[in-house]
Amino acid sequence: MKTQTAVNTGRKRRFTIYALREHGGNLLFMLPAFALFAFVELVPFIQSIPISFTDKKAIFAKAWNYVGFSNYLKLLTNRSFQETFEHTAYFTLIYILGANLLGLIFALMIWRGSKLNNLVRTLLFMPFTVSLVASTKVWSYVYTDVLMPITGQPSPLGLTTQVIPGLAVIAIWRDMGYCMLIYIAGLQSIPLEYYEAANVEGANWWTKFFRITVPMLMPAITSNVTLILAWGLRCFDYSQMVITMKAAKTTAVFVYEYIFGNSRAGVGQAAAIILTLALVILTNVITVILRRKEVEL
Amino acid sequence: MTVKAAVKRPMSASARKSRNLNILRIAALVIIVIIVLIPFYISFLYSIKTHSDISLNRLALPKQPTLENYRRVINENKYVAIGFKNSLLTTIPTVLILLFATSMASYILARNSGPFYKIMYSVFISGVLVPFQCIMLPLYMNIYSMGLVSTNLGFILARSGLQVSISVLAITGFVKGIPRELEQAASIDGCGKFGTFWRIVFPLMMPINVTQGVLNTLYVWNDYSTAVVLLREDNSRTLPLAQIIYFGENMSELNLAFAFFMLAMLPVLILYLCTQRFIVSGIMSGAVKG
Repeated sequence: MKTQTAVNTGRKRRFTIYALREHGGNLLFMLPAFALFAFVELVPFIQSIPISFTDKKAIFAKAWNYVGFSNYLKLLTNRSFQETFEHTAYFTLIYILGANLLGLIFALMIWRGSKLNNLVRTLLFMPFTVSLVASTKVWSYVYTDVLMPITGQPSPLGLTTQVIPGLAVIAIWRDMGYCMLIYIAGLQSIPLEYYEAANVEGANWWTKFFRITVPMLMPAITSNVTLILAWGLRCFDYSQMVITMKAAKTTAVFVYEYIFGNSRAGVGQAAAIILTLALVILTNVITVILRRKEVEL
Repeated sequence: MTVKAAVKRPMSASARKSRNLNILRIAALVIIVIIVLIPFYISFLYSIKTHSDISLNRLALPKQPTLENYRRVINENKYVAIGFKNSLLTTIPTVLILLFATSMASYILARNSGPFYKIMYSVFISGVLVPFQCIMLPLYMNIYSMGLVSTNLGFILARSGLQVSISVLAITGFVKGIPRELEQAASIDGCGKFGTFWRIVFPLMMPINVTQGVLNTLYVWNDYSTAVVLLREDNSRTLPLAQIIYFGENMSELNLAFAFFMLAMLPVLILYLCTQRFIVSGIMSGAVKG
């Protein structure tokens, strides 16, 4: 009996020392990234929630009270907040559809590896290197100097009814190359045998596209749609750059103005939490729906 | 003779169809590329025209192409040089910090599958779902209380932290695809965790680290929304902030504004074109696991 326990504890001790060394090393490896992440994302996120329940005005105001959900209730019934949400949703919808459709079409055209295709990939991704603010400024001249003489239409950025689609076009131009690369990766991973089998069965291009290509691309579609959704909902730079600002004001700009401009930090923070909730819920809903499509195949 | 005859044999109907389709495809690609590159062409064109040339006819080719605009922008506005200095001094440290911090963390997250590591991974990744606007106020207050508002260091810390999630996501996916045999051989040979990582794994991570490094460079160099919150003094402005202010002040001199745009864009554009082989394949390799 005695020897038995001795062996047991010995093994346990060895195991713990081993585990300590193993996991201790692992923790040390993760520490720098985690410290940065905690300082910039995790801790501020935890701090941000209580602020949204206060009537805090200026950023460094000393006196403030908890007001429960009143900021949230005020916002949800506030017409100008609702409008910023509509602008954001409208922008994001066009942005998701445009960037994904064009990205997919381009990917279908150049997914095979060849010198020409590689060159086209490089060039189509180039807009991604331009900052959002510079893109908007340059595009305001594309609209007035290139497109106006051709189409006779005034720049959409100057019209309150068209500024959102006008901005979405810029965002699509900038990011469709990114979507395209992810679709190319998806297309290259589809086994060619599937298409050969379909050819034997005499399937036409459309059948092959909808029965093989689209279902096999579902993971790429999920990742692109959720990525563009996240970029679209936090749209800030584009709408800051146009003169028709009120018609293009997004929720992100609303949050910035309330916190840093209007000195109503509590309300602004509540708006930011609503935006975050919308992003989390929509991302999950879209992922669940698209994943289900994946399984059905 | 027989060979020549064989070559000249008329093409089958399906071969002709596919050749015609390919010509159509290439024509379409040329048109698409031209349309996509128009904004680059305009920026370049406006930046090399003189002021009178540009007000006469904007799209016409320049009568005398000139680099005078570039010289004037650099000499006449001190915020151009300051913007360049600040952008360089924030982008380079941020990218280096991220290179080491995220590749080490991702290695651990990719090689351990216990519940603790799964939770850590989810915590890291959840940052993708938090818009900057949500954490902006507390982050600003914390950085203010450390006295780091309007400093390069404050901006470096903020930008590094904001890029951790997306970098960990991409690099972890890549490391999972690296076979473990080499690491096991190294650890049998008595190589410690540190040694194994630096000598064996880190070199193998080169493709994804280059990709992620260039993407991080783009995100930090082009950042506006974080800069506008954290960099509140004139002398701390990075290029995107300096550009917007310059543009507002020089609406009438388009040639100068576009010369400034070109100057700010060229470094990252050249970096992308030099590394594009890695970027394109790197984004594609990280994508599949999404």
